Amino acid sequence: MLKRKMFRDIRKNLSQFITIFLMVMIGVMAYSGIKAYMGGMQKTADKFYSENNLFDLNVMGLLNHDDLDIIKDIDNFNDAELKLSVNAITDNEKTLLLNFIESNNISKFYVVSGEGFDFDKSGIWLDDFYCEENNINIGDVVLVKYDGMELHEKVLGRINVPDHLYDVRDSSELYPDRKEFGFAYMSTNEITKDYIKSLVMKQLDISDEKIFDMYMPDFDYKEYIPFSSIMVDVDDLSNTDNVKNSIEDKVKNAKAIINASDTVSYVTYQGEIDEGKTYVGVFSGIFLFIAMLSVITTMTRVVKNQRVQIGTLKALGFSNSKILFHYIGYGFWISIFACIVGLLLGYYAIGNTFIRTEMAFFEIPNGAPFMDVSSYYVSVIVVLIVGIITYITGRSILSENPAETLRNKIPSVKGSALNITKNGFFNKLSFSSKWNVRDILRNKMRTIMGIAGVVGCAMLIVCALGMLDSMNFFVKLQFEDLYNFDYKLSVKEDISDKELQVLYDKYGNYSSQSLGIEIKDENGKREANNIFVTDASDYVRFVDNKNKIKSMPDDNGVYVTYKLASNKGYEIGDEIEWHIYGDNKYYTSRIIGFNKDPQNQNISMTRAYLESLGIDYKPDSIYTNMDLSDVKEIQNVLTIQNIDNLKEGMNGMLSMMKTMLVLIIGIAVLLGGIIIYNLGILSYSEKQYQFATLKVLGFKDKQIKNIFIKQNNWIAIVSIIIGLPLGYYLTDWLFKTAIEEHYDFGANITLRTYVLAAIGTFIVSYLVSKFLSRKIKKIDMVSSLKGNE
Amino acid sequence: MKNFIELKNVKKTYNIGDQKYNALDGIDLSIAQGEFVVILGPSGAGKSTLLNLLGGMDKATSGSIFIGENDIAKYNDKELTRYRANDVGFIFQFYNIMPTLTVLENINLIKDVTNTSKDAKEVLKGVGLLKHADKFPQELSGGEQQRVSIARAIMKNPKVLLCDEPTGALDSKTGAQVLKLLREQSDCDTTVIIVTHNALIADIADRVIRVKNGKVESNIVNDHPKNIDEVKW
Repeated sequence: MLKRKMFRDIRKNLSQFITIFLMVMIGVMAYSGIKAYMGGMQKTADKFYSENNLFDLNVMGLLNHDDLDIIKDIDNFNDAELKLSVNAITDNEKTLLLNFIESNNISKFYVVSGEGFDFDKSGIWLDDFYCEENNINIGDVVLVKYDGMELHEKVLGRINVPDHLYDVRDSSELYPDRKEFGFAYMSTNEITKDYIKSLVMKQLDISDEKIFDMYMPDFDYKEYIPFSSIMVDVDDLSNTDNVKNSIEDKVKNAKAIINASDTVSYVTYQGEIDEGKTYVGVFSGIFLFIAMLSVITTMTRVVKNQRVQIGTLKALGFSNSKILFHYIGYGFWISIFACIVGLLLGYYAIGNTFIRTEMAFFEIPNGAPFMDVSSYYVSVIVVLIVGIITYITGRSILSENPAETLRNKIPSVKGSALNITKNGFFNKLSFSSKWNVRDILRNKMRTIMGIAGVVGCAMLIVCALGMLDSMNFFVKLQFEDLYNFDYKLSVKEDISDKELQVLYDKYGNYSSQSLGIEIKDENGKREANNIFVTDASDYVRFVDNKNKIKSMPDDNGVYVTYKLASNKGYEIGDEIEWHIYGDNKYYTSRIIGFNKDPQNQNISMTRAYLESLGIDYKPDSIYTNMDLSDVKEIQNVLTIQNIDNLKEGMNGMLSMMKTMLVLIIGIAVLLGGIIIYNLGILSYSEKQYQFATLKVLGFKDKQIKNIFIKQNNWIAIVSIIIGLPLGYYLTDWLFKTAIEEHYDFGANITLRTYVLAAIGTFIVSYLVSKFLSRKIKKIDMVSSLKGNE
Repeated sequence: MKNFIELKNVKKTYNIGDQKYNALDGIDLSIAQGEFVVILGPSGAGKSTLLNLLGGMDKATSGSIFIGENDIAKYNDKELTRYRANDVGFIFQFYNIMPTLTVLENINLIKDVTNTSKDAKEVLKGVGLLKHADKFPQELSGGEQQRVSIARAIMKNPKVLLCDEPTGALDSKTGAQVLKLLREQSDCDTTVIIVTHNALIADIADRVIRVKNGKVESNIVNDHPKNIDEVKW
């Protein structure tokens, strides 16, 4: 019979139980959804990497079959493949990272459509996203131009490749532009003999073909293909370092050996997961916390409302445990059901949606959410907490005598606790203020819960809007303050001094060079990094830790970014030992200053300082403010990038973020509103007797309403005062810890956000109080007072 | 007649702030089995406290309360629960029926706490509510709701039926019907104790106990109780 009572009570108090259901569901959905999304990202990548055999090491340099043979003799080797990667242009001026390979057992293609790699087949395997954006289908013929070589290739397959999850043309781009840039693979068979011959003739300084033919009568051009990397697969990951060291020792042509986990594609994807892992903890933690607060308040309300029924059941002879189990059942079944729905929605709605969004950004097949086991644990914990809350509330009522329980509860008054309100400042307060101060002192727990709920709500709003502010600030800092140019020209690697001068003459000589380096610490441990060598004057600027533009760097040492310095413990005056990849000569440089770089944590120096070390300056980028909007191609320039396009890419990323933030704000307001409502109802029912007395005494409804609203307003104001700075710290913490290692930007929240969050929170609280205060008009003085006789 | 209920020097003290308030100040009384008892007294006299102690809903500060052979003042919480489940039926002024259970379900609820329950339909028939068995309490009048409350109380075949102002919320006609039902219970050997402000009810009682300031002011056996129909309300 009690079960029937339970189901009917639930039906009767449907709105309250729907609240509990929604809160638990939202909390569990948020947690399991983000977990499913993050877990899905990880599992999808792990599966792709393992099934398609992502390389373990990528050996870079000017390499050939002899080098491949050396690697094949190294212990713990499993497989290795040569690859020539070049930047090619298509007939419609798009850029392709074109790779020529002989076999495809490492970093194997995932064929989306068409056929797999075949060495003997003439044609091209193209980036699936690039094909999609440019409407290229299997069987189409594309023109690929590279270094004077023009190849008309039939599209044989649309593919994904495990080392091309994220591809950008240049490090200054953050958002991949798949319409303009993609990757492609071809068999080395497609490289023409004439092209290789011309390269070798140039190398041997022979201009006459006949002389070359006489000089090399058995010329096999395939032996002279200038491969740019060897992908290596080791037998066991634990042996990677050994194989790497052996290659370093034995392959003289190896300029750099990079682990798969250090590649841009891998790091960016993994960074997204790591970032999400922090978010999952913080956001779903806060959601769950607020959700549980609202469940506590609702469940307390439900059980307290059943006070007289509990008393009756006791009077009828029901044992405490039977009554407790009965009431625990209310929350138990509802929360179990809510958890199941939350888990399913989290998986399918949140996990799936976010994975799909990510899969539009990262080129990886079969993206699917993954139900993390911790989501089940969280659900169990939530159900337990709901049960415990009901238990505690029920128990407090059951500990009373049934005779007492049958009366409505009037909060007990401990005179000593209220003594403080009898003197000094309190004496001067109005009746309503005094009444509210005393009510708060009598109901500290309820007040604290109310404050905690509203603080959470204000915090989430500040954080959500603040993240947007901070990202906007970052875009401005990066693309307006630091990048003070309109166009960036990426110069070809093998450009001659003469050709460079032509570019200088035409576009100005503001340039920079990026050098891949390895830094050796005092223990001899080496770590990859890069040096930005500037000769760009004011076109590329530096800022200090407060984002203020710094004067031009000095020429007698290096500058290190703050984050790198803090990670490595560098101080001004310290010396750094480093060498350029491909050159074993070590240099020692003194740190003469710090700069902040929101995108890269590296080392900077001036051209003058670089040359003072005896190193040639070979710019790879030229900056200009000339209008190049109509220029499609410049000789010896690989890409022409417009600052507006770079900014545009960032804005694309921001719009994705905005959707998520709107969701966070929505949930924050909903949760905050429910908590305020629940606590309002609780406080109202506790005060009903007093309000009825006030009514009897002749107080007008409006006066009583003001008394009631006043307290909620106080709670909202105190919560806002606490919540706003906490929102800042949460945002700052998120940006500093959650974001990928190579980023450095903290919270930059505008005044507008604080004002909006404060007003928003206050309005939610005020409206809920106003809504509840309508009940005052309906107080029936006789029955309210009779019930407490 | 043999005493069924016996209270010896029963005290109940409440602590209100730093003050002590004696709701019951050394009550001594005896009630025989099957008696129809009315306890009268002004507000604050200790009537309800006395009823709560008899029903095992509250504990005495000192003294003994014998129900049959057992001193329930010495009972722990578990024993009191068992006592309430098996021996006592309660009837409240405001009925205290489960609003989400139908009339029949409210009565069958008793089956969850005791094995000595009667047949619910029979009980309902007895109180004239069989046709309302599937209605919810809200659909009934006050008198009908009180009859549900009585049906629920007698369902467990209690030794004692304790009634706190059972007619307090009812009009005189309905009140008389309820009292008639209660009287019938005492005629079937159930001890019925009614706490009330209404002195008119005293005329129909076998015993009238007046309580004042926590003490028994008078304990009079009514040798000629009136029939309910004879009482002018």
